[in-house]
Amino acid sequence: MVAQIAQRTAIYLSAGVICLMCGFPLYWMVLTSLKPDAEIIQAVPTFFTWQAHLDAYQRLFTQTRFLTYFINSITVAGSATLLTILVAVLAAYGITRFRFRGREAVAGTMLFTYMFAPIMIVVPFYILMRSVGLVNSHLGLILSYTTFSLPFSMWMLRSFFQSIPLELEEAAMIDGASRPRAVALIIVPLALPGVIAVSIFTFIVAWNDYLFARVLIGADQLKTLPVGIQDLYESTVTDWGMVMAAGVMITIPALVFFVAVQRYLVSGWGAGAIKG
Amino acid sequence: MSMTTTAAYGERKALPALRPRRIPEHWWGYVLLAPAVALVVGIILYPVAYSFWISFHAKHAYMPIQNWVGLDNYIFFLTDYDGFWRSLWLGTIYAFGTVTLQIVVGVAAALVLNETFIGRGFVRGLTLFPYMLPTIVVVILMRWLFNDSIGVVKYLLESTIVTRAIVWFAPETIMVTMILVSTWTFFPFVVIGTLARMQTIDPELYAAAKVDGAGILRRLWHVTLPQIRSVLFVVVLLRFMFMFTKFDVIWLFAGAGGLGSYVRTLPIYTFVKSFGELQVGMGAALSTIMFMMLAAFVALYFRLFKRDENL
Repeated sequence: MVAQIAQRTAIYLSAGVICLMCGFPLYWMVLTSLKPDAEIIQAVPTFFTWQAHLDAYQRLFTQTRFLTYFINSITVAGSATLLTILVAVLAAYGITRFRFRGREAVAGTMLFTYMFAPIMIVVPFYILMRSVGLVNSHLGLILSYTTFSLPFSMWMLRSFFQSIPLELEEAAMIDGASRPRAVALIIVPLALPGVIAVSIFTFIVAWNDYLFARVLIGADQLKTLPVGIQDLYESTVTDWGMVMAAGVMITIPALVFFVAVQRYLVSGWGAGAIKG
Repeated sequence: MSMTTTAAYGERKALPALRPRRIPEHWWGYVLLAPAVALVVGIILYPVAYSFWISFHAKHAYMPIQNWVGLDNYIFFLTDYDGFWRSLWLGTIYAFGTVTLQIVVGVAAALVLNETFIGRGFVRGLTLFPYMLPTIVVVILMRWLFNDSIGVVKYLLESTIVTRAIVWFAPETIMVTMILVSTWTFFPFVVIGTLARMQTIDPELYAAAKVDGAGILRRLWHVTLPQIRSVLFVVVLLRFMFMFTKFDVIWLFAGAGGLGSYVRTLPIYTFVKSFGELQVGMGAALSTIMFMMLAAFVALYFRLFKRDENL
Protein backbone atom coordinates (compact mmCIF):
# COMPACT_ATOMS: atom_id res chain seq x y z
CA MET A 1 0.00 0.00 0.00
CA VAL A 2 2.73 2.43 1.03
CA ALA A 3 4.74 1.34 -1.99
CA GLN A 4 1.77 2.01 -4.21
CA ILE A 5 1.21 5.51 -2.85
CA ALA A 6 4.90 6.21 -3.29
CA GLN A 7 4.68 5.00 -6.85
CA ARG A 8 1.64 7.16 -7.66
CA THR A 9 3.38 10.18 -6.12
CA ALA A 10 6.48 9.50 -8.18
CA ILE A 11 4.41 9.31 -11.37
CA TYR A 12 2.62 12.59 -10.69
CA LEU A 13 5.87 14.30 -9.73
CA SER A 14 7.55 13.14 -12.95
CA ALA A 15 4.55 14.23 -14.98
CA GLY A 16 4.80 17.61 -13.26
CA VAL A 17 8.48 17.89 -14.19
CA ILE A 18 7.67 17.07 -17.83
CA CYS A 19 4.91 19.70 -17.88
CA LEU A 20 7.23 22.28 -16.44
CA MET A 21 10.04 21.45 -18.83
CA CYS A 22 7.84 21.64 -21.95
CA GLY A 23 5.24 24.14 -20.82
CA PHE A 24 7.22 26.75 -18.92
CA PRO A 25 9.10 28.12 -21.97
CA LEU A 26 5.75 28.49 -23.76
CA TYR A 27 4.30 30.32 -20.77
CA TRP A 28 7.39 32.50 -20.50
CA MET A 29 7.21 33.48 -24.17
CA VAL A 30 3.56 34.52 -23.94
CA LEU A 31 4.11 36.26 -20.60
CA THR A 32 7.12 38.25 -21.85
CA SER A 33 5.20 39.38 -24.90
CA LEU A 34 2.49 40.82 -22.65
CA LYS A 35 4.64 42.38 -19.92
CA PRO A 36 5.42 46.11 -19.70
CA ASP A 37 9.01 46.85 -20.82
CA ALA A 38 10.25 47.87 -17.39
CA GLU A 39 9.05 44.59 -15.95
CA ILE A 40 10.81 42.56 -18.67
CA ILE A 41 14.26 43.91 -17.93
CA GLN A 42 14.21 43.93 -14.14
CA ALA A 43 16.82 41.75 -12.45
CA VAL A 44 14.34 39.72 -10.41
CA PRO A 45 11.80 38.42 -12.93
CA THR A 46 8.10 38.40 -12.16
CA PHE A 47 6.22 35.20 -12.87
CA PHE A 48 2.91 36.91 -13.50
CA THR A 49 1.94 40.38 -14.59
CA TRP A 50 -1.05 42.51 -13.63
CA GLN A 51 -0.36 45.00 -16.39
CA ALA A 52 -0.65 42.82 -19.46
CA HIS A 53 -0.94 44.79 -22.68
CA LEU A 54 -0.47 44.33 -26.42
CA ASP A 55 2.04 47.14 -27.03
CA ALA A 56 4.72 44.67 -28.14
CA TYR A 57 2.39 43.27 -30.79
CA GLN A 58 1.53 46.76 -31.96
CA ARG A 59 5.23 47.62 -32.30
CA LEU A 60 5.79 44.38 -34.15
CA PHE A 61 3.15 45.14 -36.75
CA THR A 62 3.73 48.87 -37.15
CA GLN A 63 7.47 49.35 -36.75
CA THR A 64 8.81 46.28 -38.50
CA ARG A 65 8.11 44.41 -41.71
CA PHE A 66 6.71 41.48 -39.77
CA LEU A 67 3.42 41.52 -41.64
CA THR A 68 5.22 41.33 -44.99
CA TYR A 69 7.27 38.36 -43.82
CA PHE A 70 4.16 36.73 -42.43
CA ILE A 71 2.26 37.10 -45.72
CA ASN A 72 5.30 35.81 -47.63
CA SER A 73 5.51 32.76 -45.40
CA ILE A 74 1.80 32.06 -45.78
CA THR A 75 2.02 32.44 -49.57
CA VAL A 76 5.05 30.19 -49.92
CA ALA A 77 3.88 27.53 -47.48
CA GLY A 78 0.34 27.57 -48.87
CA SER A 79 1.44 27.27 -52.51
CA ALA A 80 3.93 24.53 -51.67
CA THR A 81 1.16 22.64 -49.88
CA LEU A 82 -1.27 22.84 -52.82
CA LEU A 83 1.41 21.88 -55.32
CA THR A 84 2.54 18.96 -53.16
CA ILE A 85 -0.99 17.59 -52.91
CA LEU A 86 -1.42 17.78 -56.69
CA VAL A 87 1.91 16.19 -57.58
CA ALA A 88 1.80 13.58 -54.81
CA VAL A 89 -1.78 12.50 -55.56
CA LEU A 90 -0.92 12.02 -59.26
CA ALA A 91 2.24 10.11 -58.42
CA ALA A 92 0.70 7.94 -55.73
CA TYR A 93 -2.24 7.13 -57.97
CA GLY A 94 0.07 6.25 -60.84
CA ILE A 95 2.17 4.01 -58.67
CA THR A 96 -0.73 2.12 -57.10
CA ARG A 97 -3.03 1.76 -60.11
CA PHE A 98 -0.74 1.08 -63.05
CA ARG A 99 1.83 -1.62 -63.60
CA PHE A 100 4.98 -0.48 -65.29
CA ARG A 101 8.70 -1.08 -65.25
CA GLY A 102 10.70 0.67 -62.56
CA ARG A 103 7.73 1.28 -60.30
CA GLU A 104 9.42 -0.08 -57.18
CA ALA A 105 12.71 1.60 -58.10
CA VAL A 106 11.03 5.00 -58.14
CA ALA A 107 9.40 4.43 -54.75
CA GLY A 108 12.71 3.24 -53.29
CA THR A 109 14.71 6.14 -54.71
CA MET A 110 12.25 8.58 -53.18
CA LEU A 111 13.01 7.21 -49.70
CA PHE A 112 16.74 7.14 -50.43
CA THR A 113 16.70 10.94 -50.84
CA TYR A 114 16.26 11.16 -47.07
CA MET A 115 19.95 10.30 -46.82
CA PHE A 116 20.72 13.79 -48.10
CA ALA A 117 20.48 16.38 -45.36
CA PRO A 118 19.55 19.93 -46.41
CA ILE A 119 23.09 21.15 -45.77
CA MET A 120 24.43 18.67 -48.35
CA ILE A 121 22.00 19.90 -50.99
CA VAL A 122 22.10 23.62 -50.38
CA VAL A 123 25.39 24.43 -52.15
CA PRO A 124 24.61 22.86 -55.54
CA PHE A 125 20.96 23.83 -55.13
CA TYR A 126 21.98 27.47 -54.90
CA ILE A 127 24.17 27.24 -58.02
CA LEU A 128 21.36 25.52 -59.90
CA MET A 129 18.80 28.12 -58.87
CA ARG A 130 21.13 30.90 -59.93
CA SER A 131 21.66 29.35 -63.34
CA VAL A 132 17.92 29.08 -63.99
CA GLY A 133 17.21 32.54 -62.59
CA LEU A 134 15.09 31.52 -59.62
CA VAL A 135 17.18 33.39 -57.04
CA ASN A 136 15.17 35.99 -55.16
CA SER A 137 11.85 34.50 -56.13
CA HIS A 138 9.20 32.66 -54.20
CA LEU A 139 8.81 30.15 -57.02
CA GLY A 140 12.24 28.69 -56.28
CA LEU A 141 11.31 28.21 -52.63
CA ILE A 142 7.90 26.73 -53.45
CA LEU A 143 9.44 24.18 -55.81
CA SER A 144 12.06 23.19 -53.26
CA TYR A 145 9.66 22.73 -50.35
CA THR A 146 7.37 20.71 -52.59
CA THR A 147 10.28 18.49 -53.54
CA PHE A 148 11.50 18.00 -49.98
CA SER A 149 8.10 16.87 -48.79
CA LEU A 150 7.35 14.71 -51.85
CA PRO A 151 9.02 11.48 -50.70
CA PHE A 152 7.03 11.39 -47.47
CA SER A 153 3.83 12.59 -49.15
CA MET A 154 4.03 9.97 -51.86
CA TRP A 155 4.62 7.14 -49.43
CA MET A 156 1.84 8.31 -47.17
CA LEU A 157 -0.70 8.60 -50.00
CA ARG A 158 0.46 5.36 -51.55
CA SER A 159 -0.41 3.44 -48.42
CA PHE A 160 -3.83 5.11 -48.36
CA PHE A 161 -4.52 4.43 -52.03
CA GLN A 162 -3.48 0.80 -51.64
CA SER A 163 -6.14 0.33 -49.00
CA ILE A 164 -8.93 1.61 -51.28
CA PRO A 165 -10.45 -1.25 -53.29
CA LEU A 166 -10.18 -0.96 -57.05
CA GLU A 167 -13.83 -1.97 -57.41
CA LEU A 168 -14.95 1.41 -56.07
CA GLU A 169 -13.52 3.42 -58.92
CA GLU A 170 -14.39 0.74 -61.46
CA ALA A 171 -17.98 1.03 -60.32
CA ALA A 172 -17.85 4.79 -60.73
CA MET A 173 -16.36 4.43 -64.19
CA ILE A 174 -18.99 1.90 -65.23
CA ASP A 175 -21.58 4.44 -64.13
CA GLY A 176 -20.10 6.82 -66.67
CA ALA A 177 -17.55 8.81 -64.68
CA SER A 178 -14.26 9.49 -66.40
CA ARG A 179 -11.14 8.36 -64.59
CA PRO A 180 -10.15 11.86 -63.37
CA ARG A 181 -13.69 12.31 -62.07
CA ALA A 182 -13.59 8.95 -60.34
CA VAL A 183 -10.29 9.87 -58.69
CA ALA A 184 -11.46 13.31 -57.62
CA LEU A 185 -14.85 12.19 -56.33
CA ILE A 186 -14.14 8.72 -54.95
CA ILE A 187 -10.44 8.22 -54.23
CA VAL A 188 -9.34 11.58 -52.84
CA PRO A 189 -12.24 11.87 -50.37
CA LEU A 190 -11.53 8.34 -49.12
CA ALA A 191 -7.85 9.16 -48.69
CA LEU A 192 -8.66 12.49 -47.03
CA PRO A 193 -6.85 11.77 -43.73
CA GLY A 194 -3.73 11.07 -45.76
CA VAL A 195 -4.19 14.23 -47.82
CA ILE A 196 -4.60 16.26 -44.63
CA ALA A 197 -1.51 14.73 -43.05
CA VAL A 198 0.48 15.43 -46.21
CA SER A 199 -0.64 19.03 -46.42
CA ILE A 200 0.18 19.72 -42.80
CA PHE A 201 3.55 18.06 -43.09
CA THR A 202 4.38 20.17 -46.14
CA PHE A 203 3.10 23.33 -44.55
CA ILE A 204 5.30 22.83 -41.50
CA VAL A 205 8.36 21.99 -43.61
CA ALA A 206 7.88 25.22 -45.56
CA TRP A 207 6.93 27.29 -42.53
CA ASN A 208 10.03 26.25 -40.55
CA ASP A 209 12.72 26.26 -43.19
CA TYR A 210 15.53 28.69 -42.65
CA LEU A 211 18.46 27.42 -44.73
CA PHE A 212 17.00 27.50 -48.25
CA ALA A 213 15.18 30.77 -47.70
CA ARG A 214 18.43 32.26 -46.40
CA VAL A 215 20.54 31.42 -49.44
CA LEU A 216 17.82 32.03 -52.02
CA ILE A 217 16.18 35.24 -50.82
CA GLY A 218 18.10 38.48 -50.48
CA ALA A 219 15.45 41.15 -51.04
CA ASP A 220 13.85 42.26 -47.78
CA GLN A 221 10.31 42.41 -49.16
CA LEU A 222 10.53 38.75 -50.22
CA LYS A 223 11.87 37.27 -46.98
CA THR A 224 9.96 34.59 -45.14
CA LEU A 225 9.54 34.63 -41.36
CA PRO A 226 12.61 32.67 -40.16
CA VAL A 227 14.98 34.82 -42.23
CA GLY A 228 13.16 38.07 -41.53
CA ILE A 229 13.06 37.45 -37.80
CA GLN A 230 16.73 36.53 -37.64
CA ASP A 231 17.65 39.79 -39.36
CA LEU A 232 15.26 41.73 -37.17
CA TYR A 233 16.79 40.18 -34.07
CA GLU A 234 20.34 40.89 -35.11
CA SER A 235 19.87 44.38 -36.50
CA THR A 236 18.51 46.09 -33.39
CA VAL A 237 19.10 46.30 -29.68
CA THR A 238 16.92 43.41 -28.65
CA ASP A 239 13.40 44.45 -27.77
CA TRP A 240 12.55 41.23 -25.94
CA GLY A 241 8.85 41.98 -25.67
CA MET A 242 8.58 42.43 -29.41
CA VAL A 243 10.77 39.42 -30.21
CA MET A 244 8.61 37.21 -28.00
CA ALA A 245 5.49 38.64 -29.61
CA ALA A 246 6.94 37.61 -32.96
CA GLY A 247 7.59 34.15 -31.52
CA VAL A 248 3.98 33.82 -30.44
CA MET A 249 2.73 34.96 -33.85
CA ILE A 250 4.93 32.44 -35.70
CA THR A 251 3.96 29.64 -33.36
CA ILE A 252 0.19 30.01 -33.78
CA PRO A 253 -0.14 28.72 -37.38
CA ALA A 254 2.30 25.87 -36.70
CA LEU A 255 0.42 25.02 -33.51
CA VAL A 256 -2.96 24.98 -35.25
CA PHE A 257 -1.65 22.68 -37.96
CA PHE A 258 0.18 20.52 -35.48
CA VAL A 259 -2.80 19.93 -33.24
CA ALA A 260 -4.75 18.90 -36.32
CA VAL A 261 -2.12 16.41 -37.49
CA GLN A 262 -1.16 14.96 -34.10
CA ARG A 263 -3.03 11.71 -34.46
CA TYR A 264 -1.52 10.97 -37.86
CA LEU A 265 1.98 11.60 -36.60
CA VAL A 266 2.43 8.24 -34.97
CA SER A 267 1.12 6.26 -37.92
CA GLY A 268 3.28 8.22 -40.34
CA TRP A 269 6.34 7.88 -38.16
CA GLY A 270 7.65 4.88 -40.04
CA ALA A 271 7.55 6.66 -43.38
CA GLY A 272 9.71 9.48 -42.10
CA ALA A 273 6.87 11.84 -41.26
CA ILE A 274 9.03 13.60 -38.78
CA LYS A 275 12.35 14.63 -40.05
CA GLY A 276 14.91 16.85 -38.43
CA MET B 1 -38.41 3.88 -80.10
CA SER B 2 -35.83 1.20 -80.54
CA MET B 3 -34.46 3.10 -83.50
CA THR B 4 -33.63 6.13 -81.37
CA THR B 5 -31.98 3.99 -78.73
CA THR B 6 -29.82 2.32 -81.30
CA ALA B 7 -28.97 5.62 -82.88
CA ALA B 8 -28.03 7.10 -79.55
CA TYR B 9 -26.04 4.05 -78.70
CA GLY B 10 -24.30 4.15 -82.02
CA GLU B 11 -23.39 7.77 -81.52
CA ARG B 12 -21.99 7.16 -78.09
CA LYS B 13 -19.97 4.27 -79.33
CA ALA B 14 -18.54 6.37 -82.12
CA LEU B 15 -17.19 8.93 -79.67
CA PRO B 16 -13.92 7.25 -78.63
CA ALA B 17 -12.94 6.90 -82.27
CA LEU B 18 -13.11 10.68 -82.63
CA ARG B 19 -10.51 11.16 -79.89
CA PRO B 20 -6.84 11.31 -80.79
CA ARG B 21 -5.02 8.02 -80.48
CA ARG B 22 -5.15 6.83 -76.92
CA ILE B 23 -2.06 6.58 -74.78
CA PRO B 24 -1.48 2.91 -73.89
CA GLU B 25 -2.74 2.13 -70.41
CA HIS B 26 0.61 1.36 -68.78
CA TRP B 27 2.10 4.62 -70.03
CA TRP B 28 -0.20 6.49 -67.70
CA GLY B 29 1.98 5.30 -64.83
CA TYR B 30 4.94 7.18 -66.29
CA VAL B 31 2.86 10.23 -67.15
CA LEU B 32 1.44 10.52 -63.64
CA LEU B 33 4.80 10.02 -61.99
CA ALA B 34 6.61 12.44 -64.29
CA PRO B 35 6.10 15.66 -62.27
CA ALA B 36 7.19 14.03 -59.01
CA VAL B 37 10.22 12.38 -60.60
CA ALA B 38 11.18 15.59 -62.41
CA LEU B 39 11.13 17.55 -59.14
CA VAL B 40 13.08 14.99 -57.13
CA VAL B 41 15.66 14.52 -59.86
CA GLY B 42 15.96 18.24 -60.58
CA ILE B 43 16.06 19.57 -57.03
CA ILE B 44 17.67 16.72 -55.07
CA LEU B 45 19.42 14.06 -57.15
CA TYR B 46 20.91 16.27 -59.86
CA PRO B 47 22.26 18.83 -57.35
CA VAL B 48 23.82 16.03 -55.29
CA ALA B 49 25.52 14.58 -58.35
CA TYR B 50 26.56 18.06 -59.46
CA SER B 51 27.95 18.72 -55.99
CA PHE B 52 30.11 15.62 -56.31
CA TRP B 53 31.37 16.95 -59.65
CA ILE B 54 32.24 20.47 -58.42
CA SER B 55 34.01 19.04 -55.37
CA PHE B 56 36.86 18.35 -57.82
CA HIS B 57 36.97 21.99 -58.87
CA ALA B 58 38.07 25.31 -57.46
CA LYS B 59 34.85 27.24 -57.86
CA HIS B 60 33.76 30.68 -56.74
CA ALA B 61 30.19 31.14 -55.50
CA TYR B 62 29.37 34.08 -57.79
CA MET B 63 32.09 34.48 -60.38
CA PRO B 64 32.21 32.08 -63.29
CA ILE B 65 35.56 30.63 -62.26
CA GLN B 66 35.76 26.88 -62.29
CA ASN B 67 39.05 25.04 -62.56
CA TRP B 68 39.63 21.33 -62.33
CA VAL B 69 41.84 20.63 -59.31
CA GLY B 70 41.35 16.89 -58.95
CA LEU B 71 41.50 15.76 -55.34
CA ASP B 72 43.06 18.99 -54.06
CA ASN B 73 39.99 20.02 -52.08
CA TYR B 74 39.92 16.70 -50.27
CA ILE B 75 43.69 16.73 -49.70
CA PHE B 76 43.43 20.25 -48.27
CA PHE B 77 41.08 19.04 -45.54
CA LEU B 78 43.46 16.23 -44.54
CA THR B 79 45.79 18.80 -42.97
CA ASP B 80 43.15 21.41 -42.15
CA TYR B 81 43.49 20.81 -38.40
CA ASP B 82 41.88 24.03 -37.15
CA GLY B 83 39.11 23.84 -39.70
CA PHE B 84 38.05 20.39 -40.75
CA TRP B 85 39.37 18.22 -37.92
CA ARG B 86 38.22 20.61 -35.24
CA SER B 87 34.76 20.76 -36.84
CA LEU B 88 34.63 17.00 -36.99
CA TRP B 89 35.55 16.81 -33.30
CA LEU B 90 32.99 19.47 -32.27
CA GLY B 91 30.35 17.83 -34.45
CA THR B 92 31.03 14.47 -32.86
CA ILE B 93 30.72 15.93 -29.36
CA TYR B 94 27.50 17.66 -30.36
CA ALA B 95 25.97 14.60 -32.01
CA PHE B 96 26.90 12.14 -29.23
CA GLY B 97 25.98 14.61 -26.50
CA THR B 98 22.55 15.48 -27.85
CA VAL B 99 21.66 11.96 -28.96
CA THR B 100 22.56 10.49 -25.57
CA LEU B 101 20.59 13.12 -23.68
CA GLN B 102 17.63 12.88 -26.07
CA ILE B 103 17.45 9.13 -25.61
CA VAL B 104 17.70 9.32 -21.81
CA VAL B 105 15.17 12.14 -21.44
CA GLY B 106 12.93 10.78 -24.21
CA VAL B 107 12.71 7.22 -22.89
CA ALA B 108 12.22 8.45 -19.32
CA ALA B 109 9.39 10.73 -20.43
CA ALA B 110 7.83 7.94 -22.51
CA LEU B 111 7.88 5.62 -19.47
CA VAL B 112 6.02 8.22 -17.41
CA LEU B 113 3.55 8.97 -20.21
CA ASN B 114 2.85 5.25 -20.60
CA GLU B 115 1.50 5.08 -17.02
CA THR B 116 -2.13 5.91 -16.30
CA PHE B 117 -2.72 9.20 -14.52
CA ILE B 118 -5.19 12.05 -14.57
CA GLY B 119 -4.43 14.55 -17.33
CA ARG B 120 -2.28 12.15 -19.33
CA GLY B 121 -3.64 13.26 -22.70
CA PHE B 122 -2.83 16.86 -21.90
CA VAL B 123 0.73 16.08 -20.80
CA ARG B 124 1.29 13.95 -23.91
CA GLY B 125 0.22 16.84 -26.12
CA LEU B 126 2.37 19.28 -24.19
CA THR B 127 5.40 17.02 -24.58
CA LEU B 128 5.23 17.38 -28.35
CA PHE B 129 5.28 21.16 -28.06
CA PRO B 130 9.07 21.70 -28.10
CA TYR B 131 9.27 19.61 -31.26
CA MET B 132 6.59 21.42 -33.26
CA LEU B 133 7.93 24.84 -32.37
CA PRO B 134 9.53 26.42 -35.47
CA THR B 135 13.33 26.48 -35.17
CA ILE B 136 13.53 30.25 -35.27
CA VAL B 137 11.15 30.44 -32.30
CA VAL B 138 13.14 27.82 -30.37
CA VAL B 139 16.23 29.93 -30.94
CA ILE B 140 14.87 33.33 -29.90
CA LEU B 141 13.00 31.80 -26.95
CA MET B 142 16.05 29.93 -25.68
CA ARG B 143 18.30 32.94 -26.13
CA TRP B 144 15.86 34.79 -23.90
CA LEU B 145 15.53 32.04 -21.28
CA PHE B 146 19.31 31.50 -21.18
CA ASN B 147 20.15 35.22 -21.35
CA ASP B 148 23.28 35.91 -19.32
CA SER B 149 22.11 39.08 -17.63
CA ILE B 150 18.35 38.82 -17.11
CA GLY B 151 17.52 35.28 -18.24
CA VAL B 152 15.04 33.39 -16.09
CA VAL B 153 17.02 30.12 -16.11
CA LYS B 154 20.04 31.87 -14.66
CA TYR B 155 17.86 33.56 -12.06
CA LEU B 156 16.12 30.34 -11.05
CA LEU B 157 19.37 28.37 -10.75
CA GLU B 158 21.38 31.04 -8.97
CA SER B 159 18.63 31.77 -6.48
CA THR B 160 18.19 28.10 -5.59
CA ILE B 161 20.82 25.42 -6.07
CA VAL B 162 23.80 26.99 -7.83
CA THR B 163 26.15 29.19 -5.85
CA ARG B 164 28.56 30.31 -8.57
CA ALA B 165 27.60 32.74 -11.31
CA ILE B 166 26.49 30.90 -14.45
CA VAL B 167 27.53 32.05 -17.90
CA TRP B 168 25.71 30.25 -20.71
CA PHE B 169 27.30 32.16 -23.56
CA ALA B 170 31.05 31.78 -23.16
CA PRO B 171 33.67 29.87 -25.14
CA GLU B 172 33.82 27.12 -22.51
CA THR B 173 30.09 26.71 -22.00
CA ILE B 174 28.43 27.46 -25.33
CA MET B 175 28.63 23.84 -26.50
CA VAL B 176 26.91 22.68 -23.32
CA THR B 177 24.19 25.31 -23.75
CA MET B 178 23.80 24.28 -27.39
CA ILE B 179 23.44 20.60 -26.42
CA LEU B 180 20.83 21.41 -23.76
CA VAL B 181 18.79 23.53 -26.16
CA SER B 182 18.95 20.90 -28.92
CA THR B 183 17.95 18.18 -26.50
CA TRP B 184 14.97 20.21 -25.36
CA THR B 185 13.63 20.69 -28.84
CA PHE B 186 14.34 17.21 -30.27
CA PHE B 187 13.66 14.75 -27.42
CA PRO B 188 9.91 14.49 -28.27
CA PHE B 189 10.94 12.58 -31.40
CA VAL B 190 12.24 9.83 -29.09
CA VAL B 191 9.06 10.01 -27.02
CA ILE B 192 6.82 9.55 -30.07
CA GLY B 193 8.76 6.53 -31.28
CA THR B 194 9.21 4.69 -28.01
CA LEU B 195 5.79 5.49 -26.57
CA ALA B 196 4.07 4.08 -29.65
CA ARG B 197 6.03 0.86 -29.17
CA MET B 198 5.42 0.70 -25.40
CA GLN B 199 1.69 0.84 -25.97
CA THR B 200 1.87 -2.41 -27.92
CA ILE B 201 3.66 -4.39 -25.18
CA ASP B 202 1.46 -7.24 -24.00
CA PRO B 203 0.20 -6.37 -20.47
CA GLU B 204 0.40 -10.05 -19.58
CA LEU B 205 4.19 -9.79 -19.66
CA TYR B 206 4.01 -7.29 -16.83
CA ALA B 207 1.45 -9.34 -14.95
CA ALA B 208 3.68 -12.41 -15.20
CA ALA B 209 6.69 -10.44 -14.01
CA LYS B 210 4.66 -9.12 -11.08
CA VAL B 211 3.61 -12.63 -10.11
CA ASP B 212 7.27 -13.59 -10.15
CA GLY B 213 7.89 -10.80 -7.68
CA ALA B 214 9.69 -8.33 -9.94
CA GLY B 215 9.62 -4.72 -8.71
CA ILE B 216 9.09 -1.70 -10.95
CA LEU B 217 12.78 -1.36 -11.81
CA ARG B 218 13.24 -5.03 -12.65
CA ARG B 219 10.09 -4.94 -14.80
CA LEU B 220 11.57 -1.94 -16.61
CA TRP B 221 14.88 -3.73 -17.13
CA HIS B 222 13.59 -7.17 -18.05
CA VAL B 223 10.31 -6.42 -19.82
CA THR B 224 10.14 -2.85 -21.17
CA LEU B 225 13.69 -2.33 -22.38
CA PRO B 226 13.99 -5.61 -24.31
CA GLN B 227 10.67 -4.81 -25.97
CA ILE B 228 11.61 -1.30 -27.10
CA ARG B 229 15.10 -2.32 -28.19
CA SER B 230 14.30 -2.62 -31.86
CA VAL B 231 12.57 0.75 -32.01
CA LEU B 232 15.45 2.36 -30.11
CA PHE B 233 17.78 0.89 -32.73
CA VAL B 234 16.02 2.92 -35.43
CA VAL B 235 15.52 6.02 -33.29
CA VAL B 236 19.21 6.24 -32.33
CA LEU B 237 20.24 5.80 -35.96
CA LEU B 238 17.87 8.51 -37.22
CA ARG B 239 18.65 10.90 -34.39
CA PHE B 240 22.38 10.52 -34.95
CA MET B 241 22.02 11.16 -38.68
CA PHE B 242 19.87 14.23 -38.08
CA MET B 243 22.06 15.68 -35.34
CA PHE B 244 25.30 15.09 -37.24
CA THR B 245 23.95 17.11 -40.17
CA LYS B 246 22.01 19.67 -38.11
CA PHE B 247 22.47 23.18 -39.37
CA ASP B 248 19.74 25.69 -38.61
CA VAL B 249 19.40 25.48 -34.84
CA ILE B 250 23.19 25.70 -34.30
CA TRP B 251 23.70 28.45 -36.83
CA LEU B 252 20.87 30.59 -35.51
CA PHE B 253 21.59 30.01 -31.83
CA ALA B 254 25.33 30.55 -31.80
CA GLY B 255 26.99 29.59 -35.08
CA ALA B 256 26.59 32.94 -36.80
CA GLY B 257 27.68 35.02 -33.83
CA GLY B 258 30.94 35.78 -32.05
CA LEU B 259 31.00 32.37 -30.34
CA GLY B 260 30.47 30.64 -33.67
CA SER B 261 33.88 28.99 -33.81
CA TYR B 262 33.14 27.09 -30.58
CA VAL B 263 30.12 25.34 -32.07
CA ARG B 264 31.46 25.08 -35.61
CA THR B 265 30.35 21.59 -36.49
CA LEU B 266 30.80 20.19 -40.01
CA PRO B 267 27.50 21.58 -41.39
CA ILE B 268 28.38 25.02 -40.05
CA TYR B 269 31.88 24.75 -41.51
CA THR B 270 30.38 23.74 -44.87
CA PHE B 271 28.10 26.77 -44.87
CA VAL B 272 30.94 29.12 -43.87
CA LYS B 273 33.25 27.74 -46.58
CA SER B 274 30.54 27.98 -49.27
CA PHE B 275 28.74 31.20 -48.48
CA GLY B 276 31.20 32.99 -46.19
CA GLU B 277 34.47 32.33 -48.00
CA LEU B 278 32.58 31.71 -51.26
CA GLN B 279 34.64 28.59 -52.01
CA VAL B 280 31.88 26.45 -53.39
CA GLY B 281 34.21 23.67 -54.51
CA MET B 282 35.44 23.21 -50.95
CA GLY B 283 31.91 23.34 -49.60
CA ALA B 284 30.89 20.65 -52.06
CA ALA B 285 33.85 18.52 -51.01
CA LEU B 286 32.76 18.88 -47.37
CA SER B 287 29.21 17.84 -48.29
CA THR B 288 30.57 14.76 -50.01
CA ILE B 289 32.77 13.92 -47.04
CA MET B 290 29.81 14.28 -44.69
CA PHE B 291 27.71 12.00 -46.86
CA MET B 292 30.42 9.35 -46.96
CA MET B 293 30.87 9.55 -43.21
CA LEU B 294 27.16 9.06 -42.71
CA ALA B 295 27.10 6.11 -45.08
CA ALA B 296 30.07 4.58 -43.25
CA PHE B 297 28.37 5.21 -39.92
CA VAL B 298 25.17 3.54 -41.05
CA ALA B 299 27.07 0.51 -42.35
CA LEU B 300 29.11 0.21 -39.15
CA TYR B 301 26.06 0.70 -36.97
CA PHE B 302 24.20 -2.10 -38.72
CA ARG B 303 27.21 -4.42 -38.47
CA LEU B 304 27.70 -3.74 -34.78
CA PHE B 305 24.16 -3.86 -33.55
CA LYS B 306 21.96 -5.65 -35.99
CA ARG B 307 23.43 -9.13 -35.56
CA ASP B 308 21.58 -10.01 -32.40
CA GLU B 309 18.42 -8.13 -33.28
CA ASN B 310 15.42 -9.70 -34.82
CA LEU B 311 14.12 -6.63 -36.56
